[in-house]
Amino acid sequence: MKVRRALRFLCRGALLATLALGLFAGSFTPYSYAHQFRGIPNAAPSAAHWLGTDALGRDLFTRLVYGTRVSLLLAPAAALIASIIAAILGAIAGLRGGWLEKIILACADLSMSLPLLFVLIALRSVLPLDVSPVLSVIATFLALGLIGWPASVRVVWAASRDLRDSDHLLLAQALGYRRSQILFHQVLPCLRPVFLAQFWISIPLFILTEATLSMLGLGVMEPLPSWGNLLRGSEDFSAMAANPWRLVPLLVLVHTVICFQFIFPGSEEIA
Amino acid sequence: MTPGILKFAQKLLLLGALAIMGALLSATIVRFAPGYGVDEHELDSRLSASSRDAIRNRLQLGKGLLSYYGAYLSGLVHGNLGTSAFLERPVAGLLKERAAFTARTVFLGWITAWAAASLLSLLTLRWQSWLLEYSATAATGILIALPTAVVALLCLYLRAPLFLGIAVITLPKLFRYQHNILAQAHIQPFVLAARARGVSPGRILFRHVLPVARPPLLALLAVSASLALGAAIPLEALSDSPGVGQLAWQAALNRDLPLLTSITLFVTLLTAGVNLFSGTLQERRP
Amino acid sequence: MRCSRRSSALLLALFSFLFSTPAGRAQSGEELHFCLHSEPKTFNPILVDDEASENVRYLTGGVLIRVNRQTQALEPALAESWQVSRDGRKITFHLRKGLYFSDGTPFSSEDVAFTMRLLMDPETHSATGDAFRTGAGSIAVQTPSPDVVVVSFPALVAGLERLFDQVAILSSKSPKKEMSVLGPYYVSDYVPGSYVLLRRNLNYWKHDAQGKPLPYIETVRLDIQRNRDIELLRFRRGELQLINRLDAEQFDRLQKDSPGVARNAGTGLDGEELWFNQTAAANLPDYKKKWFQTTAFRQAVSLSINRTDLARVVFDGYATPAYGPVSPSNHFWFNTSLPAPKHDPQAALLLLSRGGFHLENGTLKDSAGHSVEFTVITNSGNTTREKMATMIQQDLSEIGIALKVVTLDFPSLIERITRTFDYDACLLGLVNTDLDPNGQMTVWLSSGEDHQWNPHQKSPATPWEAEIDKLMQEQASTPDEKLRKAKFDRVQQIVAEQQPFIYLINKNALSAVSASLSGAAPVALNPQAFWNIETLRLKPSQEMGASK
Repeated sequence: MKVRRALRFLCRGALLATLALGLFAGSFTPYSYAHQFRGIPNAAPSAAHWLGTDALGRDLFTRLVYGTRVSLLLAPAAALIASIIAAILGAIAGLRGGWLEKIILACADLSMSLPLLFVLIALRSVLPLDVSPVLSVIATFLALGLIGWPASVRVVWAASRDLRDSDHLLLAQALGYRRSQILFHQVLPCLRPVFLAQFWISIPLFILTEATLSMLGLGVMEPLPSWGNLLRGSEDFSAMAANPWRLVPLLVLVHTVICFQFIFPGSEEIA
Repeated sequence: MTPGILKFAQKLLLLGALAIMGALLSATIVRFAPGYGVDEHELDSRLSASSRDAIRNRLQLGKGLLSYYGAYLSGLVHGNLGTSAFLERPVAGLLKERAAFTARTVFLGWITAWAAASLLSLLTLRWQSWLLEYSATAATGILIALPTAVVALLCLYLRAPLFLGIAVITLPKLFRYQHNILAQAHIQPFVLAARARGVSPGRILFRHVLPVARPPLLALLAVSASLALGAAIPLEALSDSPGVGQLAWQAALNRDLPLLTSITLFVTLLTAGVNLFSGTLQERRP
Repeated sequence: MRCSRRSSALLLALFSFLFSTPAGRAQSGEELHFCLHSEPKTFNPILVDDEASENVRYLTGGVLIRVNRQTQALEPALAESWQVSRDGRKITFHLRKGLYFSDGTPFSSEDVAFTMRLLMDPETHSATGDAFRTGAGSIAVQTPSPDVVVVSFPALVAGLERLFDQVAILSSKSPKKEMSVLGPYYVSDYVPGSYVLLRRNLNYWKHDAQGKPLPYIETVRLDIQRNRDIELLRFRRGELQLINRLDAEQFDRLQKDSPGVARNAGTGLDGEELWFNQTAAANLPDYKKKWFQTTAFRQAVSLSINRTDLARVVFDGYATPAYGPVSPSNHFWFNTSLPAPKHDPQAALLLLSRGGFHLENGTLKDSAGHSVEFTVITNSGNTTREKMATMIQQDLSEIGIALKVVTLDFPSLIERITRTFDYDACLLGLVNTDLDPNGQMTVWLSSGEDHQWNPHQKSPATPWEAEIDKLMQEQASTPDEKLRKAKFDRVQQIVAEQQPFIYLINKNALSAVSASLSGAAPVALNPQAFWNIETLRLKPSQEMGASK
């Protein structure tokens, strides 16, 4: 247990440090994320450019640090939106049952098979062309959060349906607890691990979805950096092998994802 | 028996209605997406005005969405799925050519992911060692952070079959869910009691844990199937495998209404069908 | 338990089905293997309008006259000789005798007549056919003998002979229809989404100097592969012997680790350009329209773009700053007297200040005080264009212009530039398949549909557009090549002055040819690396290694 707690502490610290790095990006790097040092594109790491430069000669470390803002603030926000919607709908379906359950599950099935990509493409066209890059990225993540729920609804539903039939809920009802009391003291604590699992799984997914979307012109606009668009370079292995430092954004992402997994207490500890 | 069959028929009917609703909804979404009815060949400077009009007419619905609905449904009744606007070939043929490939890769990927996830979950639960659990979590964390494009390229680089890519993408999510479900079951009072009594781990698993965890596991079976199917689309598109995923991607990029409508129809049938199946299994409780 | 055993047997059966691989591909001794970058949409040579189909047509179709991709001169192919009438409306072909289609059907003037009639049928809507359509009316085809064909057009077609390079002759009698061909290969197998397999046409008419029948290579396998990284990976492994149209970044990498394999054919025909939306109907604020319609503004933007940096950074040096609509590699039509593109922000600012613009705290403002900012759209997924736009962003910031870059998926982009006109500026590359300016008629005529900056004009909006209209019509109405060249030189000059399209760079024609393939001589014209497919050879020893 001690090890667990220490690790959790460590991960929280690391995440906070990464977040701080992003928020105070300006004080960690002397460069602007957009400035192109055109004389030295694709440079190797050096004292002046810790992670070298990208194809246009922009300082990669600076871009990584600024990219943290988008990825570490917006992706969890979108994940939170999606998880909350999934939790509410899944819990309603599982606990209420009946026709509401059928409708919610049918909607989830339906929206998982619809070409939602088009919804995002349409969103880009609804936004005027001269909208600022930051605003467009926020809109994109908001949309992602709003349409990202169906994948997890079934999991929450299954868990809460089980709960509906469980003994201690029956007991609580028999003891005459109020509905809200049951919800907050019995139901939610039991569903917590499911919610959390859902939440942390979604974070990297949203970070990566942003990368895919920027390929479709829906993600972060140039010259704004994000981990997603820094990762776009990692698709080419021969280039990676020659410039291993280009893997750093991927490593940072992996590290962050793992930290997110460990900051919440495990299910055994909750019980 | 009869009420059971009746109920099942009712469910099938619901499934069909859901699929058709999905198809029509997707037609609506595509129809109103920007860039509908546009073909890049319009930019060919050799084309005469009348040829350009011909291209535009071919891509446009002509009459409108409602009449398209009507035409699609009546075609469906006669087993005719229409003609792809982009590839200019019958949709039914296109789907038939590619369905086998996708079915095979998705199924194998799904099975592999389940096998790997179950192995990991059981190992971590059997030994209850924090080191084991943390390394499993970290390993799946690495997998979940890999961009799909990297997974596709890795498959090619290592000459691995595509279903492994699907397994790699599905595994981390599946493991997390599964681990949660099993861990929850493991801390039920009677399981703890059984453990205290010194019942063998295998017996605990099969006699106590699995029966409790069965309904959510069955739900997970369906969820993971749709996860695997969802992973197939980008993977096939990125690695240019001749499957439905690649076809769907092309159809989306080219705003191919008839093709996309039919693909949605089948994907909805499949997703909802798997859920229906797992739902039926869940109802037959021990 | 009984039940479970049965299910495990079922499972086993299922698995053996799933793991059984589809029928193994036939491995022939000599197979050239390379990629198409999209699904070929048709094998009917008349309906071809995409690059993949065009490549298949080049490999399978027999044409009357061939443009030699290296010398850019015309060569007799199925026609031994030909004459164009003085008025440029009639062409007479003398065909080779005793030729057969790939399925054994004999070839005669009837087939040419059949092809031409089908090609020019307005209902066919063929891009190849539309190129011949210069005036109203229909064509007349006569076949005075089995080896003579006379095609008469309703109006003069300037550069008529060159257009026949795209016309693959169909058989009028063969039951196999368009699958029966006269070119070096025929399509023997096609698995949609996967590959096209071509086999040597045993009836092909060409022989080498020693009298050996061409082509040398037995089969050509064209894999459908969109992902260029995967293509390069497979090439490095020896699974592919050729890559057509390599992008600069990949070429640079290949050049570094296997220099002999990367082939640079010099400046290509394709260019990249930027233009402003000058459409009257555009839903833009009036002051923006005014900027875009001001020549000095466009000239200033052009002057402030550092094309040398674009070529060096984005294209790793494998591109040259563009002069205008015609690439220097188009030997005949390029206007050599055009001024070299310049990068001069100071001159740009001077021009702008004369046009009423001024700098205020580093921001450019127009005479009414609006700060100058606009959005450039380009197609998403194209990293080179995104990089170019990002570099232009920095270049323009030096003269106080704030540029936003928005990438849109291709259909939405086309919708904006052809239908809604809801954009400020657009960065795209136009592919030139035709060396002759007649192929760009709809680009330059102000009434044209591809007159992107302001299409479909009822009457020319500006005097210089009126002059271009006049020059283009004049060059199209004379068969005199020298006169046509003089007229089109003037068009290039006007475009360089007015900058309706701001031409940025011409990309180099880059390809990769494996050491196991001999005889390749990549050129700037399409199809760059395999234009001489007939005389390519696979080295036997290397081939064995490659196929393993």
